[in-house]
Amino acid sequence: MNRILVETVVFGKQYLRTKVGAFFLFIFPVLLIALFGAVFAQNTTSTFELRVQDLDDTLMSRGFLAALNNTTVVHVTAIPASEDIGEYIRANSLGVALRVPAGFQADVAASLAGTGPPFVNLTIYGDPSRSTYGVVVGVVSAVAEQFNFQLAQARPIVGFDVENVASSQYQAIDFILPGIIGMTVMFNAMYTMTAMCAEYRTRKYFKLLATTTLKKHEWLLSRVLWFSMALLLSLLVSIAVGKVLWNVNIPLNGITALSVVFIVVGVLLFAGLGMLLGAFSKDPESASAIANVIGFPMMFLGGSFWQLEMMPSYLQAVAYAMPLTYLNNGLRDALVYQNLGGIAFNLAVVSALAIVFFVLGSRLMRWTQK
Amino acid sequence: MAGPVIEVRGLTKHYPDTKAVDGVDFEVRKGEVFSLLGPNGAGKTTTVEILEGLRAPTSGVAKVLGHEVGNDYSAIRRRVGVLPQEFEPFDRLTPAETVAYWGRLFDRAVSKEQVARLLADVDLAHKAKVQALHLSGGEKRKLGIAMSLVGEPELLFLDEPTTGLDPKARRDLWGLIRRIQGEGRTVILTTHYLDEAEQLADRVAIMHKGRIAIIGTPRELVARAGKTTIVLEGAGAAGLAEAQRLGVPAELEGDDLLVRVDHASAVREVLGRIAAMPVPARGLYTRRATLEDVFLSMVGAKMEDGVLRP
Repeated sequence: MNRILVETVVFGKQYLRTKVGAFFLFIFPVLLIALFGAVFAQNTTSTFELRVQDLDDTLMSRGFLAALNNTTVVHVTAIPASEDIGEYIRANSLGVALRVPAGFQADVAASLAGTGPPFVNLTIYGDPSRSTYGVVVGVVSAVAEQFNFQLAQARPIVGFDVENVASSQYQAIDFILPGIIGMTVMFNAMYTMTAMCAEYRTRKYFKLLATTTLKKHEWLLSRVLWFSMALLLSLLVSIAVGKVLWNVNIPLNGITALSVVFIVVGVLLFAGLGMLLGAFSKDPESASAIANVIGFPMMFLGGSFWQLEMMPSYLQAVAYAMPLTYLNNGLRDALVYQNLGGIAFNLAVVSALAIVFFVLGSRLMRWTQK
Repeated sequence: MAGPVIEVRGLTKHYPDTKAVDGVDFEVRKGEVFSLLGPNGAGKTTTVEILEGLRAPTSGVAKVLGHEVGNDYSAIRRRVGVLPQEFEPFDRLTPAETVAYWGRLFDRAVSKEQVARLLADVDLAHKAKVQALHLSGGEKRKLGIAMSLVGEPELLFLDEPTTGLDPKARRDLWGLIRRIQGEGRTVILTTHYLDEAEQLADRVAIMHKGRIAIIGTPRELVARAGKTTIVLEGAGAAGLAEAQRLGVPAELEGDDLLVRVDHASAVREVLGRIAAMPVPARGLYTRRATLEDVFLSMVGAKMEDGVLRP
């Protein structure tokens, strides 16, 4: 036990002295929580600027634009009537713009009187791939619909109410924070063990350690112990930062405490995977490349930053083949949703994978030669 | 312990493409400095790593401190110190931290004073608080030696301990090894420096191609080689031709003419004949046989930095 503690302390000292280790353990998750929180956590609706060329400039066209402004979703600004709207859009890199045609008011009046065209069209210019395009199309069509009801002196009949069935109100950061914690476990345990196994083999540290009384299992336990303690601290720091900055919805109770089990089992899983990858790496450089090949897809597809349902079904299938997905889901079930069934399922998967990877990895990691 | 500290009988280590150790026998007695000498690839390190419990032998007997190495080495691990050939310290630890840490890995709580004394012994006290990353190659080697000593081992394996050290550091380390020997501890010194083995070793085993070519004290080996060399400096090809004309077996080493004389009694007579040769020369002197001559006669080649030179 004494040797395990000594090895844990000495390894921790070396790990933190690399600076990179300290960064990925504490600073990286805090940065991500601050950044993602800032991007997603606000509840206020954004207002888009909508450039409009009003070629009619009548009471009716100005009324339509005022109605658009009143939605608070868009803020209307004018494109001079003298401009060619296509050129203007290109010159200003606009995602969307609206043109009210000349004769808009007169055509509407004629249409109502049955003497003009059956439809009077406004023109939306835009790039459907831009996120603002869909919002503007929706707002303009909603305002146009209201206009039509008023002109026809009709009222809408079919509508809808909203009933919230969720037990709590969740923000986006509530979803993201457990994902960041899961990703931090993966980064630290897997990347470090992959590089360390390759380095210890090529620099003959394993052989050097084999000349002492330290046993391989004691060395492994010291790594697991260090990563578990360091990542538990990182978990507490992440939750504290999330609470202070974005008031994350993480209750402090017994179910939340089950996240500790996920951290420890997650460390075993990714340390084992790291040992496995390290065993197949020629040197620390190739170990880093191999860890990136495995780690980066897992980071983006393992549900750290967005829900798996947002991805195409074939990518969801890939995501469910990734260990990080289950760690993230388990942490989310423990920290946010408080879902004991989900916790049990994800813990079972993570534990089974941890046993497989850790046993395989430690068997392939040789201290001495045959 | 009454028996030998190390006992090796018929030791082999075979790989699919090579016989790294091919039937080696020797014993090392308590308090001895025993040197395994040989070029790179001779089988020294493989032999030593088997004795350190780091490799399994293919066949044969290898006993260390009375224990068969293939069995439970952990029983003797605390009593054995090792400086491996390819030693590298841990980059982010200072020498003081490393030595204290290493002591704990031998279940030995090492005080700050003991750490300071060990670092002073290897002339590394001034770098005690510098991370190993910033040490020179020689300083790293010294740290490795301090680590091998921290468990106060009865048996010390030093594999190429002076590689990378400057001449002063080498001589300092020789002094340290003599002191360790004076404390009754046993040292297995693997080296390719002939002068080092000659200076330090009580007994030397010259290894070549996985076998021990010759074993004995340096004095015995030199006596067995038995040759005194007469050197005619700068005699060149003309000197060689003249020697051959006189029927004196000679060879050239650079521009110097070397004549090897088997028996001390014949030196005076041969010296007279060489001195009388009508060839210009810068000087004439005799050279006592050294381990280098022994090595040359056993292996048929010279050794420079571990590499055989014809």
